[in-house]
Amino acid sequence: MNWLLPEATDLSFEGIEQPLRILSGLGGGTQGQVYAVQVGAEQLALKWYLPACIQRDPQLRHRLRQSIVLGAPNADFLWPLALLEPSASTKPLIRHRQAGFGYLMQLRPPAYVGAYLHAAGALEISLQNVLRACFFLADGFHQLHLKGLCYKDISLGNLFLDPNSGRILICDNDNVDIDGQGQGAVLGTPGFIAPEVLLGQVRPGTTSDLFSLAVLIFRLLTRHDPFRGQMELEIRCLDEPARRRLYGEDPVFIFNPSDSRNRPDPIEHAAALITWPIYPQPLKLLFEQSFVIGLRDRHQRALTGQWKLALARSLDRRQLCSHCGQENFPELQSSTNTCWSCRTNLPKPLRLQLPFGLVVAANGNEFYPHHFDRLASEDLRQPLGRLVAHPQNDGILGVQNLSQQCWQVRRRNGQLISLDPGMTCNLTALQQIDSCSGTITVLR
Amino acid sequence: MSFPNVRLSNRPLHFIYLCDCSGSMAAQGKMQALNQAIRQSLPGMVEVAHQNPEARVLVRAVRFADHAAWHLAEATPVQQLQWRDLEAGGTTAMGEALELLADALRSPPMEERALPPVVVLISDGQPTDDFEAGLAKLMHQPWAQKAVRLAIALGHDANLEVLQQFIGSTAGGEDNSPRRPLQASNATTLAQYIQWASTAVVSAASMPASRITPTSQTQNSSDRAANGSNILLPDLPPTLMDPTDEDVGPLVW
Repeated sequence: MNWLLPEATDLSFEGIEQPLRILSGLGGGTQGQVYAVQVGAEQLALKWYLPACIQRDPQLRHRLRQSIVLGAPNADFLWPLALLEPSASTKPLIRHRQAGFGYLMQLRPPAYVGAYLHAAGALEISLQNVLRACFFLADGFHQLHLKGLCYKDISLGNLFLDPNSGRILICDNDNVDIDGQGQGAVLGTPGFIAPEVLLGQVRPGTTSDLFSLAVLIFRLLTRHDPFRGQMELEIRCLDEPARRRLYGEDPVFIFNPSDSRNRPDPIEHAAALITWPIYPQPLKLLFEQSFVIGLRDRHQRALTGQWKLALARSLDRRQLCSHCGQENFPELQSSTNTCWSCRTNLPKPLRLQLPFGLVVAANGNEFYPHHFDRLASEDLRQPLGRLVAHPQNDGILGVQNLSQQCWQVRRRNGQLISLDPGMTCNLTALQQIDSCSGTITVLR
Repeated sequence: MSFPNVRLSNRPLHFIYLCDCSGSMAAQGKMQALNQAIRQSLPGMVEVAHQNPEARVLVRAVRFADHAAWHLAEATPVQQLQWRDLEAGGTTAMGEALELLADALRSPPMEERALPPVVVLISDGQPTDDFEAGLAKLMHQPWAQKAVRLAIALGHDANLEVLQQFIGSTAGGEDNSPRRPLQASNATTLAQYIQWASTAVVSAASMPASRITPTSQTQNSSDRAANGSNILLPDLPPTLMDPTDEDVGPLVW
């Protein structure tokens, strides 16, 4: 890499009191280069733009200033913290005639890896954590859109995730703008761009974000592209004009119930055929909504709130196959569920009835404030309780108190137990839990 | 208990070097510089292949001197590639190299479905055989027409005209464009261009990057897409300057 900024050097910037020490270059792309920098005691990341990028995007500086003033929608965005303009003494040290500018943001913790690794099958991750990542992604866009902002260019390339927790980070927030305003240069990434934007009919905004969000969720859940079926196989050279046809001029959702022209091929598109049946019907309906009616009518696309609800409910019904241990998300009403992986029958599981929701008793499932409060928006960050296996005997399942208050647990024989925060009680013979938030009843 | 291990859909992306190994390449360490540049570019290429789930990046190489021959005949996954040094000596059978390439881009052996191939022609001189015939045979192949064809001119004696013919028509007067022969006058620039072709271009051909609105300032790049190339080529690497030897004003006055 040819770094624009000198490494191991102190540089001063306009309006920033302390000099920044450029520690090392971290990476570079088509837009700019990212460095690790030291500011006082803190280590941060610095993105420095390539001159060609600044030249073709005259609004870039304005958008960054605007985003810095408005602040991050939530902590899942690696949001710009400060705009950096080189001082007179810094300019000669930059290895380009046009010194350019950049911005500061938090460093990405090493546990977060590029979402493309998951799409490439190069990541060990549970279905639960994939669904959680999708939830956090939908939640991030929910908060962003609620602020009146749009992202414009979400793709696998600017999403990072922690495979051990499902937590995410959304990077490259420099196209974010007030919805409907601004003349930002970006259109989006082919494969993720809404058809009307790809065809140049509409500029990117919140409705095209909803399309790209649905594509990204689909790709995370299936490791496949929602528009690559038979019609892709008819394309010999997958180049720009071919992508324009596939995603813009005549896109057909591979699982469109009323148009079977683009069904997945059993060999070439096996991933889609294996993974799609895993997911609950309400989630599939949101894809149909976004990729069938919402393909032409951008106001019909599934909203972030709908995704959040469907993803949270999918997580609630997660059940583990007693034979192969695989994660399943069966219909709770149906009595004849089989494991998608080994075809073993799935018996009707123990369930926790909460005031506003039903959570299957499976190791790792959690319940949250939104299960107790109709007005609370779905949020997976602060679980109040979790189903956990006994550390020495994973055949024994318990409920762990993750709240700050003591719970009163009633067993079926009438025995009462006080369960302090952090403690777990055996689910066997458990009848009811009274917590400060509400009552939890075990359904057998 | 993990995400199902599913077979992922992908397409081959053929990346082919055509390397001039004529006697003049022995001068001033040009042959060594090219070997080094390609070898140094491989880790970055592996990384790009890793990041592009849609592509299987396969590398081959042709050497041409008195005759053209496959230097790396088998389409090798970039992850397994070990670069053997090319050696200089002989004339410049560039036309023959294009014929060899034409045979390789015929279907079969080319797969029925693929990503646009990327071909990089590197030369420091004049073809000594029938270049026109070779080019005509090459451009008869549909996969050659679809290919992203790039050319690097090493030193000042390279025939820019034939390299331009290999690339195809240009988008007008733009000087510093990937639709023109890239002129590498020293080892550093050569390494930059090889790295750019093997990473940024491979990436653009397999997983398209963000699109921007064509404005007056970006007209050139959209012209590039419209004229000739069927992928949107990425920006060339920025020309870095050493602040100590440029733009410091007069040294003595």
